[in-house]
Amino acid sequence: MRYNSVYLLKRLGFAFITLYVAITLNFLLPRLMGGDPASALASEKALGSQEVVKALKAQFGLDNPSLLYQYAKYLNQLLHGNLGVSYANYPSPVADVMVKALPWTFGTVLTATLLSYLVGWLIGIRGAWKAGSLFDNSTLFTAFFLNSVPFFWIAIIFIMIFSFYLEWFPLGQAIDPGIDSFSALDKIKSVLYHAFLPVFTLIIATLAGHILVLRNNLMRVLSEDYMLLAKAKGLSAARRKYAYGARNALLPSFTGFMTSLGHVIGGAITTEIVFSYPGVGLVTFNAILNHDYPLIQGSFLFIAVSVIVCNLIADLVYPLIDPRVALN
Amino acid sequence: MKTIIRIAAACWSAFPGKKGKLGFVILVWFTVIALFGSLLAPYPKNFIGFESWLPPSFSHWLGTDSYGQDVLSQMIYGTRTSFWVGIIAGLITTVIGVTVGVVSGFKGGWVEESLMRVVDLFLIIPTLALMIILASFLPSMGIVSTILIIGCLSWLYMARSIRSQTMSERQSGYVEAARTIGMNDAEIMFREILPNIVPVILANLVLVTTQAVLAEAGLSFLGLGDPTNVSWGTILALANANNAVLFHAWWWILPPGLAIAFFCFGFILIGNGILEKYRANRGNAAL
Repeated sequence: MRYNSVYLLKRLGFAFITLYVAITLNFLLPRLMGGDPASALASEKALGSQEVVKALKAQFGLDNPSLLYQYAKYLNQLLHGNLGVSYANYPSPVADVMVKALPWTFGTVLTATLLSYLVGWLIGIRGAWKAGSLFDNSTLFTAFFLNSVPFFWIAIIFIMIFSFYLEWFPLGQAIDPGIDSFSALDKIKSVLYHAFLPVFTLIIATLAGHILVLRNNLMRVLSEDYMLLAKAKGLSAARRKYAYGARNALLPSFTGFMTSLGHVIGGAITTEIVFSYPGVGLVTFNAILNHDYPLIQGSFLFIAVSVIVCNLIADLVYPLIDPRVALN
Repeated sequence: MKTIIRIAAACWSAFPGKKGKLGFVILVWFTVIALFGSLLAPYPKNFIGFESWLPPSFSHWLGTDSYGQDVLSQMIYGTRTSFWVGIIAGLITTVIGVTVGVVSGFKGGWVEESLMRVVDLFLIIPTLALMIILASFLPSMGIVSTILIIGCLSWLYMARSIRSQTMSERQSGYVEAARTIGMNDAEIMFREILPNIVPVILANLVLVTTQAVLAEAGLSFLGLGDPTNVSWGTILALANANNAVLFHAWWWILPPGLAIAFFCFGFILIGNGILEKYRANRGNAAL
């Protein structure tokens, strides 16, 4: 039995509390910032229709000054999947706009995170095994440098080199304009072709963190007594490196996955703007430009919820990789 | 003159290792530009009136942008904003992070438990998303609100790091000794433990400063910065919005990114140097 019920309940409970806090922040923060929620959520100027404004105000309890009443209404609407109406995409509901954007962001972020982990691990292992070597020093230096560069700048540079001068990749967007006439295979090809550079940007921008974490972990493992014992037993270098060293160094770095995901999504938001990639980031950016407050709130909620769900999944997968986690 | 040399020498030796010294040089370079920017800049701030899209030349070292502004001048004025946002937001973060970390690490029990739960919780919610929602609902964004938003939301990692360091310090003999001579908790925490973890605090300080500079650039890029101010982030945002790539205007794109990169790189090198020295002094203590 790899799961124990206490661990399971704790993780589930934590996820629910986080979710609740995120939802409440989404309600409270705009009000604390001195914004006028009634005109932010249901602006007659932005929506241009008095009936819609009236209906929205009634739905979200904005006709009643009591904060508690508004909060209850807000939670109630949320449970029904109603996040209000986007101004810029009127009459599309916020939820629809977000649901359309989410898969693009998710696809690129998850692919990039997994690949970046893989590459980062391989480089980190090699560096730690020969600590102080030319390879180790140059990767460390590069990693420090990459850690200091904003994601969107890497994105602009890549577009300039690979899309504009070399013309290997498109300048932006996620699909060809004429995609409807394509066959299924061509559609997939078009999506992959457009996604390559954004994913590549995210990989390069997040690589440094993974290299540094794994290198540090492995350095610590290498100084353990059992590594010396393995050497004394005459085990091959490859076996000591991967089966003994890397395996034990990988496990703790898995927890980093959770916090790194939030970081990657933060970076993806700005990267998407550069690539005009139609994900959550671009939606958020346009919402900010248009003062589309319901959409800004909706995008915060969608980002927070997806990160919380991913963390929960990671928490549930973790005991399968490292049984010690669920024991205490 | 002699005292200046002595101070410079003291600063020089205060930054350990080759990496630390390189970081120090980078930091001094940007500090000079930030402090004396208005004297160094060839043209006034936001001055419009040159031809657009001029490539670098002797009169415009970094060319001009689509508005006909001198890129070098904008870069120099931008240094001031990015520099101060980074430093002040970094300091705010450090004060909150150190206080939460030391208190929770030293007190233990329910204080630690509840503080760390809050930290765990907010670590999951992406900081940039929180910053976006705060900044976009503020009636107006100025440099002060940028600093406050970044400073108050970035202390979570640091609190954890300081807490674990405090926990290991708590076991030391000097804490026991301080207790025996009748010091109270606050005195032990901030007079005894704090000086002993200064290197860890400094290493964290440079990291959060880096993050603050990057966060400012990100917020400006999203259009959530102070619209009347120039920063490296706003320069990049304008370059991207005006399709600088299509006009071959690399001189508008490369400098702001490189400036951010080198500024943060300098800080990271310093932090790394401090940590390495600290580890060596303590026999490779894990951090």
